[in-house]
Amino acid sequence: MARLMLTPIGGDLPESTVAQPAVLEREAELFARRAALKLGWGESYQQRVRAKGKLTAWERVERLADSPDAIRPLLTFVNDGETFGEEKKTSPSAGVVTVCAKVAGKWVVVIANDNTVASGSWWPRTPEKIIRAQEVAQKLRVPIVYLVDCSGLFLPEQGRSFPGRRGAGHIFAMNSRLSAAGVPQISGVFGDCIAGGGYMPLISDKVYMTESAYMVIAGAALIQGAKGQNLSSLGIGGADVHVHLSGCADFRVPDDAACVDAIRAEVASLPTSAVEYYRYGLEAAPPHFDPSELTRILPAKASDPYDVRQVIARLVDDSLCWEVMADRGPEMFTGIARVGGLYVGIIANEQLLTPHPSVPAQKRPGGILYREGVTKVSIFSRACNEDGLPILWLQDVSGFDIGTEAEKQGLLGYGSSLIYTNSTNTTPMLTVLLRKASGAGYYAMAGLPYEPVLQLSTVLTRLAVMDGRTLAIGAFNTKLDDNFKIVASSEEERAKIEAGMKAVEERIERDMNPYAAARQMDTDEIVALGELRDYLTMFAEMSYQTMGIRRIRNPRIWSMHDLAVLTGEAGGVA
Amino acid sequence: MFRKVLVANRGEIALRIIRACHAVGAKAVAVYSEADEASPHLKLADETVCIGPGPAAKSYLNADALLEAAISRDCQAIHPGFGFLSENARFAARCEQMRLAFVGPRPSSMRAMGDKATARRTMAAAGVPVLPGSKETLSSVEEALELAESVGYPVLLKATAGGGGRGMRRVNCRDELANAFEEATREATGAFGDGGLYMEKFVVGGRHIEFQILGDHYGHIVHLGERECSVQRNHQKLLEEAPGNRIDATLRAEMGARMVTALKAIGYRNAGTIELLMDADERLYFMEMNTRIQVEHPVTEMVTGVDLVAWQLRIAAGQRLTLGQEELAPRGHAIEVRINAEDPAQNFRPSPGTITRFEAPADTGSAHVRLDTHVESGYRIPPNYDSMIGKLIVWDESRPLAVARLSAALAELRVEGVATTIPLHRAIAEHPAFVEGRYDTTFLQKYPEVLERARALASI
Repeated sequence: MARLMLTPIGGDLPESTVAQPAVLEREAELFARRAALKLGWGESYQQRVRAKGKLTAWERVERLADSPDAIRPLLTFVNDGETFGEEKKTSPSAGVVTVCAKVAGKWVVVIANDNTVASGSWWPRTPEKIIRAQEVAQKLRVPIVYLVDCSGLFLPEQGRSFPGRRGAGHIFAMNSRLSAAGVPQISGVFGDCIAGGGYMPLISDKVYMTESAYMVIAGAALIQGAKGQNLSSLGIGGADVHVHLSGCADFRVPDDAACVDAIRAEVASLPTSAVEYYRYGLEAAPPHFDPSELTRILPAKASDPYDVRQVIARLVDDSLCWEVMADRGPEMFTGIARVGGLYVGIIANEQLLTPHPSVPAQKRPGGILYREGVTKVSIFSRACNEDGLPILWLQDVSGFDIGTEAEKQGLLGYGSSLIYTNSTNTTPMLTVLLRKASGAGYYAMAGLPYEPVLQLSTVLTRLAVMDGRTLAIGAFNTKLDDNFKIVASSEEERAKIEAGMKAVEERIERDMNPYAAARQMDTDEIVALGELRDYLTMFAEMSYQTMGIRRIRNPRIWSMHDLAVLTGEAGGVA
Repeated sequence: MFRKVLVANRGEIALRIIRACHAVGAKAVAVYSEADEASPHLKLADETVCIGPGPAAKSYLNADALLEAAISRDCQAIHPGFGFLSENARFAARCEQMRLAFVGPRPSSMRAMGDKATARRTMAAAGVPVLPGSKETLSSVEEALELAESVGYPVLLKATAGGGGRGMRRVNCRDELANAFEEATREATGAFGDGGLYMEKFVVGGRHIEFQILGDHYGHIVHLGERECSVQRNHQKLLEEAPGNRIDATLRAEMGARMVTALKAIGYRNAGTIELLMDADERLYFMEMNTRIQVEHPVTEMVTGVDLVAWQLRIAAGQRLTLGQEELAPRGHAIEVRINAEDPAQNFRPSPGTITRFEAPADTGSAHVRLDTHVESGYRIPPNYDSMIGKLIVWDESRPLAVARLSAALAELRVEGVATTIPLHRAIAEHPAFVEGRYDTTFLQKYPEVLERARALASI
């Protein structure tokens, strides 16, 4: 009989262990940049919204959520640092707030057009960001709430948001697919909803309109231009028309607050979350070791090692874990723990030196995928999928092992097997790029191209095929000797090569910055280390929230137990 | 009922739990450290397991060893007793995870009540009075100064994360506060890694009153009235009685009902004790909750006729608590004294060694005298643990009769070979203030003649 023995993991940090200044500085920068983006276009635009008796997008989101700490923002840094149009306009967070929020005890995905940024218009990447948030709801079948307040595309850049595969129209395709899949969609219409903004709420199960909201295919200005008629947008597309005449909306409410409250009530009326059910009678518990200590564990420099078990100990309930197949492929950690009382599988890179499997005296550096680790991860990933365990990937990987041994062993093949596993898994996956996310390691460990539900970066994340130094050496290979020393015929040439290598290195290092990845949606959010546990809890609860969408097995009948018996594990199961 | 229960403790409480196991028809597996291998209580256990060397950290506090012992002996439950791992939520969670019933509340209740702010809020919400003070952690000295004005000096600064007096400062007047705040913050940061402080009104003297609670898994919770534990030395309880002095049935019923309401709100299970402070005006204030059985539980058992430990086991096995609140009115009066191997003549220095002669009072086992002890003649007290070697409990129809019983029983209780607190208890029992039942936690400071008399009795 399978009795799951979770045992303590991690330990107290020596008092002398302090956070590296670089880590703290970068987290302080993260909080400052986040706070600035939250202001949208700033105080004056917020005042303009309030003067109309409306709430800002963030005020709507905060009123909708159960509490301020029940909100997990996503995709905050999309478009960060870019400008659009001839006037070089910024688009903080791409003009749309996307969060997972707990509403009436259930996680919902919230998409709120930011009315403090160009009246919620859609910039390049805004549709893509909305689609990404819809995908989260689609994968986990959690309800989705649209707080619509969108004056249409930002037209000066229409070519970048209208036509493509992820053009604005795909939002409505997602609306349709969500509806077909039975995912609850609820819309509140708050303001000027023109064209795309008008279409977005329509497919929702429920559409609420405030007295100052309107939805139109074309607004008054366009009608004036095209037909020479003088009309008001509210007159042609307000609640008077859409609730009572056209039937395009369901309910009218006096103002923003009433609208948000009505949506809260709708979410409350949806079926109860299955989270408690899937805790199997056990309780959620905080980690025994404080997650805020993570800043003291992870060194800023990507090549400096740390004990990944100390990281896991600060993420899981009671800091208890069953490490599966601990004695095989020790360069990889595979284990099962509870998060928020719910079972999750965890796969992580060991950073410390581990013994070579056939030459135990030989130690190999961590953060690299060798054959045994890859096969272990592949089997573990399959077992998690089979048993319905959501998977947390903790990446800090330089890549696959290279060289004679690697090729002779057929690492290409074993890596492909793992890729196949992850690509065909249907269990939800959360990928966290703790630091390094390089080479095929980023792919093999369920990086974004392998469609995890979410991929999170930290302030230490470096996402790239290879680091700047390596790439510079590769690029200037012909000018270097076997020891990577520059071979030059003159001082002048040497200086030129040196400068060239430096430029490549710097450009790559800049691109590896997590903000660069977040800007172009190559990662879903940058989170502080101390916030990882909160995001992980959200992921676990969202994965178990909706019943009947995927196989979730009672721990009694996990295939994981069979594996444990076959590998002769005494620890995990009794 | 469980077939087998692991008794994860030592000494007299281990023996008490073994007896309760047998009373409910379960077998008891006793654990012992190498230092306790000759403990007489092991003879009563159905099985015994050595869990490690003498130091508690390697044996009675070693969760891995205890869990392994429970699994290897096919136990279905673990009774933690008091002290050691009894209030360790993570240990309780590990038991639950392994399908071993932890005889106590759920880990979340242990955590909630272990957190002082949460415990205060839970109790206050149900109408249990709490001492005036800060609701949340103090943010600054300025806030502390302002609050102290409204609460009234003296006040007590306490570490939010702490215990054991560290990060705690009594502040008598405004001038002392800034300094005390700084010191307490530093001390709390050093000790707990968290410098958070909160403030409470400091009650001078005061009495220690506590209520016994019992609740099952189905939302039925009762209280078993109060105990008074005001005879203390350095915050250590020496003697406890039930019911409390001058606590009438109305107050008992009213306060008890509020506590039951508070604990129902958090889904509390199994036994627990709510500790209160009674000020000079006989007003009660919530202090803290202990989520386990307590040393002094026998006085409650004597006046209610309820076997608390047996009920703990039945509840943990999923049985319904069939006691109604109306049948739990206290009858008569009970007093317990803790017999510690400490020398009253030498400032209560622990007195380990071998007990050459141990003789119980003649009435032991009658309705009037109960002796909970694991020692006997020839017992060697190991130096590794606390110095309690037993508890003498007496019962009679009224308090005066019970006090008389106590004196008589103490006179007959013989422990030779080591110094004990028996002379101190004899001195207490004959002191007029105690006899009248008019005393508070300053009893021993206020009446130095008690210690004088104890020393004199000890040297006879």
